[in-house]
Parts: sequence; structure tokens; C-alpha cells
Amino acid sequence: MSPTVAYLLYALFALGGAGVYLALPRSQARPTHVAGLLLGAGAIVGGLMLLGTYVIAPSSTESSTNFFFYLFSAIALFAAARVVTHPKPVYSAVYFVAVAVAVAALVLLQGAEFLAIALIIVYAGAILVTYAFVIMLAQQTGVSVYDTRAREPFAAVVLGFAAMAAIAGRIADPNALPATALAPATASLVAGAGEAPVTPDAGAEAQAGNTISVGWSLMTKYVVVLELAGVLLLVGLVGAIALVKKKVPRDVGVDPEAPLGQIGKEVEPF
Amino acid sequence: MIIEWLKTQWHFSAVLTAVVAGVILGLVAYASLFERKIAAWCQDRHGPNRVGFFGLFGWRLWGLGQPIADGLKFFVKEDIVPAKVDKPLYVAAPAICLIVATMGFAVIPWGGVVDLDGDGQWDVRCQVASLDIGLLYLLGLGAMGVYGVVLGGWASNNKYSLYGALRGTAQLLSYEIPIGLAILVAVLMAGSVRLEEIILAQVGEGNCWYAVKHPIAFLLLWAAMFAETNRMPFDLPEAEQELVSGYLTEYSSMKFSMFFMAEYTHMIVGTAFLAVLFLGGWHLPFIPWLQPESTSIFAMLCKMAVMIGKVVFFMWLYMLVRWTLPRFRFDQLMRLAWQKMVPAGIGLAGVAAIVVYIRGSEMSLWREVALCWAGNVAVVVVAVLVSLLARQRGDRVTGRQGNLPAVPAAGSGA
Repeated sequence: MSPTVAYLLYALFALGGAGVYLALPRSQARPTHVAGLLLGAGAIVGGLMLLGTYVIAPSSTESSTNFFFYLFSAIALFAAARVVTHPKPVYSAVYFVAVAVAVAALVLLQGAEFLAIALIIVYAGAILVTYAFVIMLAQQTGVSVYDTRAREPFAAVVLGFAAMAAIAGRIADPNALPATALAPATASLVAGAGEAPVTPDAGAEAQAGNTISVGWSLMTKYVVVLELAGVLLLVGLVGAIALVKKKVPRDVGVDPEAPLGQIGKEVEPF
Repeated sequence: MIIEWLKTQWHFSAVLTAVVAGVILGLVAYASLFERKIAAWCQDRHGPNRVGFFGLFGWRLWGLGQPIADGLKFFVKEDIVPAKVDKPLYVAAPAICLIVATMGFAVIPWGGVVDLDGDGQWDVRCQVASLDIGLLYLLGLGAMGVYGVVLGGWASNNKYSLYGALRGTAQLLSYEIPIGLAILVAVLMAGSVRLEEIILAQVGEGNCWYAVKHPIAFLLLWAAMFAETNRMPFDLPEAEQELVSGYLTEYSSMKFSMFFMAEYTHMIVGTAFLAVLFLGGWHLPFIPWLQPESTSIFAMLCKMAVMIGKVVFFMWLYMLVRWTLPRFRFDQLMRLAWQKMVPAGIGLAGVAAIVVYIRGSEMSLWREVALCWAGNVAVVVVAVLVSLLARQRGDRVTGRQGNLPAVPAAGSGA
């Protein structure tokens, strides 16, 4: 990749950062958010064009896959920008769901069906519903001003976009990557098996089905990591229960004259 | 010629989509009439019996025109959007509900494989999309279905709606876990998450339906399905007597109708799912056209009819249960899911894993069924023992009912 392309890439990130900065919600309504969104949209389109020209086009042949890649990338990027720039928290959560679904579609295009559907079930289905749940309880009527304005917009945008530009520049530099990483066939396997390096028998398993190959690699190569993650979740579960559990007095006598609705009396389990 | 055209799976899927969509929308419309007729039967009434087809010959035809009249009514009624609602989400919520519910039909195997030109080789699958992740796709859709409820309830800007949405979210998230565990039983036994392979593992020589092998897991999945579709006795998100209509309160006209269509569609997908996982899908024993070997077009139609028959049977049970069991209280609902169904589901999944480990490659059907039954009975026995022990230890649960004044005995003249 020539230095020109790299500078173009950094310029696009600067543009995107400026767009997001302008579009971030403020305490007073300002007319800058439209300009910000336009700038951001320009950055997204430019970034995708750059990506398509220099990274994807040489290694891909199917144009329909490419079309869906651009479509879902654009949706994911736009929705991600709206997550941080939308003034209403509930809409941020909904856009977050859109990001999760669009990313799942991108993963699906790479042939990692299991990972895609796991992303939808776990992220969009469980975690984000609880987010939405909490936000809605907090924000039922009348949105408070403290929740709808960005605290440190400039620092956040500069830090975030500088980090993203650094990572993107590193990824887009072909010398920095292992030789196999961009070949389409192996890329799908890598995506399918989490961070698994590709082994010859993994290729044979992938023929049998993506779900099966993920299962094999989880249960053979990564079984220790899997078990540790399970234990970690269990510890989290026990901790959560220990935090919220309240001791219910067991020996409170039932007073038939007590008013209705008093908590702490005992009844038979149903 | 048209046979040649249909031999491409893509073309066949397109035709099948159109057919299934038509049949299902018809079923959804008539499910409402069916439900009202069942309700009338349970309560010893006539039910809707006035509307025929445009006064055709002056016959009423047992009210068979009622769904058409209802549909027309929903379309032409005033569509009220209350003033303080969050309009984009308010409009999107019923659409999300209906779209997500309808997408489930794509992976359901309606009629096995079909040999269109009679050359002994099967050409297409009678299934819109044969996904490698068929079952997980359905689970993912179930997870997305929560958004229709939660967004609809919140966007309505109504306390009752919000309560309904909160209840619905908690309920759907809780009951996804026993559903996942019961599904795990079928997946472990079949060794695949492809729906058509799960059916094939239940039919033919030396196999039997998983409902026979794992009756408790079947009951678990079936009961959790009631909760997942918000049907009685789990209809707390809608609960007319407590929450007016829960998250539906502010909806009118076609938007209201879309929520209802989504509920019936969800019921149909859920029962089809149940039939595929535990009742052999399109299979019935001893009938030659309903075996995997017969692939003619006639056999395909028979298989589809059997599949729809199973769906209708379970819809009927849904409707009977509605008039049989009272609604749970919310703490009972949560306790049922987390303290009863989830441990039982973990136990059953463990049983299935042990059976798969022991049976290896060759084991006679009778011994395998006996093994499964032993495991299922063991889970039930452990559950009963644990609840007896808990009762003996004096574990109590809190609730309002301890404070209710004693009901005077009948005839005491109080």
C-alpha cells in the first residue's frame, strides 16, 4: 500500500471524527448535527471505497458478496455513529441492535454461520434487551438534560478516532499481516473457529458444516479456555445472586388482622 | 417443462414461499375463528355463526366468513395514534413483531425431499431454506421477537403498556433458557442442528420420535412454548384484567391486528418447531407415503398435510388450555422457570448426553428407549424429592396471600 493511500485513510478518519464531533448531542440544540451527519456519511462512503479498491477487490471475485458487504458495512457504520450521536438513549440502544445485526450479517458473508447467529442470540437477543430494559425504566417520560448531552465530546472523538485510524492503518498495511490472513477460504475458517489458526483437518470439518467445526475446535483445541470461561460466568452468577439476595424472615407469625399487602409474611409454596 | 423449472431449489423455494405464506396467512386468519369457536365450545355457547360469504345462497356456513369480515374491519377502522407516543418506534413495533414471527417459516421442513421427475433421485427439498444452523436461526428469531414487545410497550407512553413490556421481556428472556435446554436434548440425540436431519434421526428403522424417548423434555418444551407465545396461562404481558391489554393497550386498527397476527404466527411456528423436534415432523409410523424413502409429489403433499395436521392439533390444545388454566402470578411464573424448569432442563440435557455416550453406534431401539426413560424418571424423582425436602425444611416463599383474611367455610352463615 502506497503512503498516499495511508494518508487518504487517515484523512478519512479525521473527516469521520469531525462529523461525529459535530453530530454529538449538545445541551442546546445546534444546527451542526446535519452537517456532522453529512461529513460522517462522506467518510463512511470514502472509507468503503478505499477498502473496496485496495483490500477487497484483489482477493475477491463474487460481486454479489461484495454488494452485500458494502450494504451491511454501511448500515453497521451508520448505526454505530448514531449510537453515540442520537440524543435519545432508547434510540441509541435500538441502533446498537442494528449494529449487532449488521455485523452478524457481515460475519455470515464470511461463511461463519454459527458465529453470526450466536452474535444475534447473545448480543441482540439477551444483552441489548437488558440494556433497553434499563434505559426505558430510567427514561420513561421527560428526558433529563444530563443524559442527552455528550460530556467530553472533543477528547472522546479525538482519542477514539486516533485509535481507530492507528488500528486501521496497521491492518491495511499488507506487510504487517501474516500471508494467509487475507485469503478468502482461510478467512472464513478463522472467523468460524473464533481465533483458531487454520489446520488441515479443520478444513475437512468445515466441509461437514460450520457448526460442527466450531464445536470440534471448541471441544478439542480450546477446551481449557471454554471451561475457564464457564467457571468465570458461574462466579459472576453466584456473585450477582449474593449481591441481591435478601434474607426473608422465616418466623414472622401470621397475623390475620394485618393489613393487606404487607410484605414479609409466609405462605405455602404453590 | 414447469417440472424442469422447479427442479432448481431456488425456484422451488420461491414457489413454496408463496404457497406457505398463503396457507399460513389463511391459517392465521382462521385461527382467530377457530379460537372463538373453541372458546364458545368450552363455555357452552354457539360462538360466531352469523357471517357467511356475502350472503351466498343465504347460507351462514357456521360463521366461516367471519375472518374476512374481521380483516376488512381492521383495515377500515380509524388508526388512532395517541398524541404523546414516540411515533417511529410506535409504528415499527408491530412490524418488527410480525416480520420476526413470519421469518420462522423459512427453515421449517414441510415435506422432506421431493423427486419431481420420477427418476428415483430426489431433486429439491420441500423447505424454503435448508440452513446449516436451522435450529439456531429459530432461536435467534425468538430472541429478536422480544423487541416488538418491548419497543411497543415503551413507545406507547402508557404505564400499563410499559408494565406489559417489562413483564414480557422478563418472561421471554427467562423462558428462552428452558426452551434452549429442551432443544439441546433433541440436538444431542440427533447430532445435528439441521431441522431436516433431526427429523431423519427420528424416523425409519430402529428410530422413534423423541417424544417417546424423552417425554419429560417434550413436556418441558411444550410448556415453555406457551410462555414464549404469551398464551394462557402465561399471558401476563397482555393480562386484560390487570393491565388492560399490556403492551397492546394503545394500539388500534391494523397495528393491533398485526400484533395479533404475530401472536398466531408465533404459535404456528412454535408448534411446527415442536412437531419437528419431538414428533418426527412430517412422519407418521406405518404409513408408506410418510416415510423418508417415498419422494413422489403425492408423498410430499401427504407429508405437508401431516405437518399441518400436527400444527392444527397443537393449536387446538393451546386453545383448550386457555380455558382450562388460570393465569400465573408473576412470582409463580419466575419461580416455575428458574427453580423448576431450568434445573429439570439441565438434568434432561445431562441424561441425553449420557444416553448418547452409552449407546455408541449400535444399541437396539428398545434398550435405548428404556435408558432414556430411566433417565427421565430419575430427573422427575429427583425433582419431587428436592421439593419435598424443601417443604420439610420449612422453606417459605413470600407473597400477599399469607395476609388475606381467611375465607369463611361454606354454610357457616358468615
